[in-house]
Amino acid sequence: MSVLRFLPGGTESHDSLGPVVDAIRARQAWLADVPVDTLLALFDDFAGRLMRDPHTQGLEGAMFLAAWLKRNNLENLLRLNFNGNPAYLDGFQPRGRDYLAAKPHGLVAMWMAGNVATLPMFSLVPGLLTKNVCLVKLAQPEPQGIDRLLAVLSESGAEGLRGDELLEAAAVVWFDYGQGELSEAMSRAADAKVIWGGQAAVEAITRLPRPEHCVEIVFGPKYSIGVIDRKRLEGDEGALDEAVAGFVRDVAIFDQRACSAPQTIFVERNARLSLREIGERFARHLERLGPKPGSDPYTTMQILDARASWAVDETRDVIASTDGANWTVCLDREASLKEAVQSRTVFLTEVDSWRKVIPLLSPKVQTVGIAFADREDALALAEAATRAGAVRCVRPGLMNNYESPWDGKLLLSQLVRWVTLKP
Amino acid sequence: MTSLTPQLHASLAAQVDDLIRGPQYALDQPEKEARLLPIVRELCVDMGRRCPPYGRFLERLGGDPDGWQSLADVPPLPVSVFKRFQLSAVPPERILRELHSSGTTGQEPARIVIDKTTAFRQARALVSILKEHVGAARRPLLVLDAAESVAEGEQLSARGAAIRGVGNFATETVFALLQLPDGELVPEWPRIERFFNEHGDEPLLLFGFTFIVWTRFVEEAERRGARFSAAQAVLLHSGGWKNLSARAVSKAEFAARTAALLGCEPGAVLDFYGMVEQVGTVFVDCPAGNKHAPAFGDVLVRRPGTLEPVAPGETGIIEVLSTLPTSYPGHALLTEDQGELVGVDDCPCGRKGRYFRFTRRIERADVRGCGDTFAQSREIG
Repeated sequence: MSVLRFLPGGTESHDSLGPVVDAIRARQAWLADVPVDTLLALFDDFAGRLMRDPHTQGLEGAMFLAAWLKRNNLENLLRLNFNGNPAYLDGFQPRGRDYLAAKPHGLVAMWMAGNVATLPMFSLVPGLLTKNVCLVKLAQPEPQGIDRLLAVLSESGAEGLRGDELLEAAAVVWFDYGQGELSEAMSRAADAKVIWGGQAAVEAITRLPRPEHCVEIVFGPKYSIGVIDRKRLEGDEGALDEAVAGFVRDVAIFDQRACSAPQTIFVERNARLSLREIGERFARHLERLGPKPGSDPYTTMQILDARASWAVDETRDVIASTDGANWTVCLDREASLKEAVQSRTVFLTEVDSWRKVIPLLSPKVQTVGIAFADREDALALAEAATRAGAVRCVRPGLMNNYESPWDGKLLLSQLVRWVTLKP
Repeated sequence: MTSLTPQLHASLAAQVDDLIRGPQYALDQPEKEARLLPIVRELCVDMGRRCPPYGRFLERLGGDPDGWQSLADVPPLPVSVFKRFQLSAVPPERILRELHSSGTTGQEPARIVIDKTTAFRQARALVSILKEHVGAARRPLLVLDAAESVAEGEQLSARGAAIRGVGNFATETVFALLQLPDGELVPEWPRIERFFNEHGDEPLLLFGFTFIVWTRFVEEAERRGARFSAAQAVLLHSGGWKNLSARAVSKAEFAARTAALLGCEPGAVLDFYGMVEQVGTVFVDCPAGNKHAPAFGDVLVRRPGTLEPVAPGETGIIEVLSTLPTSYPGHALLTEDQGELVGVDDCPCGRKGRYFRFTRRIERADVRGCGDTFAQSREIG
């Protein structure tokens, strides 16, 4: 069997994608008739169940997902994406003398990155909320918790809609990316493609043949940074500690593999703390994280290579955990974006001024974590960074909080076709 | 910074020489560890004094050398560092040659500086190891490579360094391949046939790199329908299996078809594990198919993440330890390979110490996700 389909109660295998695609396509008309308010009620129930479900408590990001699924949040997202009126999703709405509606593309094929266990839900829920049937391909054959999330969703309910019914409009599958004919079949079946992943994955998936009308929504590889200004470093101890703790949370979650996780954090030269002393503050917070759940050999080698490269260089310095490759703080004064090592590896770079960071920014940079005591400077950095291509400027601790817009895109509004009626 | 006193230096050198000269697989692990640890500690500390970058590495990441309780406490230097830094403990005039790794596409090759003492030790160490696998007598050697690989000069490739090392075991050396102007290697059949005609009934040694042996010698010979009668031949080969695995050639098939071609036993086809960063410290297959650490070095397999040594039966990252180098910090090196620690002191072949099997090169992980990007204006190293 070459296609593995994850179901709330287990898995099933298929020889091809054809039956899976046919099954979800068959639910397209039914889903179009489900009111958006009913979908919101169902996801709200899903949120409550997730918060109570003992099996998903340990799943990284599950609590954030639950908060994100709450009716209030999803309603806000819909209003943001649909010009304040989610009813466009239920049918034509008057607009002056004319009418406007938001129709689903049809079948949305979604390719997931393997770095964030809850990511499929952040793609699947918008897909279903916009009444698309969804074919979700995981990056790995291991469900990594998605099986349990599907189970909780299938048990959820709202008046007029059961979770297991809704899941008939979606399929979560895995097949080896080397099976080119399956990748092609998935792409050819798509009315829209949502692609999450690194450069190689994005290039391979966007090269696949697709129907002429099919749109592609790409969340490709990105790099994120942090910046701490002089006034924060010289000012209130508590505020500085909070900023460092926030950055360390951003580093720890999803093992620093998300595109929103800070890799290089720039600190302004200041009169109070040396670069080493700032590094030691990061080290103290990293030390409190406890051991990592696991590490692959490649990432371990990358960490050890970075440590050694920083250690042998007299212009650099390094502070590292003594219990293996648990965490690392690399210190230097080269105003550059360091190659992401991930897995609790922070590059702390001292610069004369935060303005030295601006030339390094480009559309490749997604999120800028700003820990500034000077509000005007913070706004000036945000203005300059977003002009250069960055799309999110947030406080430390919020860098990995999935929100809309993401990567500069309002995903929900891109999952529909805007249609007009002029009677 | 001061180096060791001449007396201590001489004493250390004598201890290393004893280990090189003595039996290679006779010490059980506790005894070996007790002998090696103080030597490795002194060598690392001395290297730190003579090679300031390594001194910084030890100071920043090594902890207190006096607190090292076992070889696993010695901080291993990743071999990748040699691709970005020239780590030398000797002045330029004392560098005998520079060894270069082959390097993969887009990567800088590793550069290893060798002084006279290191070169001398490496040669003797290799002979000591080979003696225990193929016997003490030197043999005619057919190198399944081209002479250009060991061209004279101050720089030498990994292949060249290994060929030179094995050459110390030869009564006569013949190169089986010819390097064409475009770099392609082709067999010199008249020369090969002459070698087997002259020496076929003697104990012979053949040496080459696994992929070259297979593609330029075995497959070519099979295509020609060639067969040799060298019942006493031993083939030593080294190098990655990745390319052969891609051709679906297993280690067993490699040994069987090569042995059939040479007319020897498949057990005489010996794979060995080694690297340009530690020439001389090689790990040759024993009859049970395991690789053993020699007396003057050791092997550790470390668990990814925690870096703790694995238990027998587990796989991890291979670290190799050696007392040979005097010109570069190569006493504890973390390789880019994965292996299984098969056991300690209990190999059916009777050799003592830790023994392992190479499993694969460490490859880029698939799951690094959307944050796995290269910074646009990065400056590394």
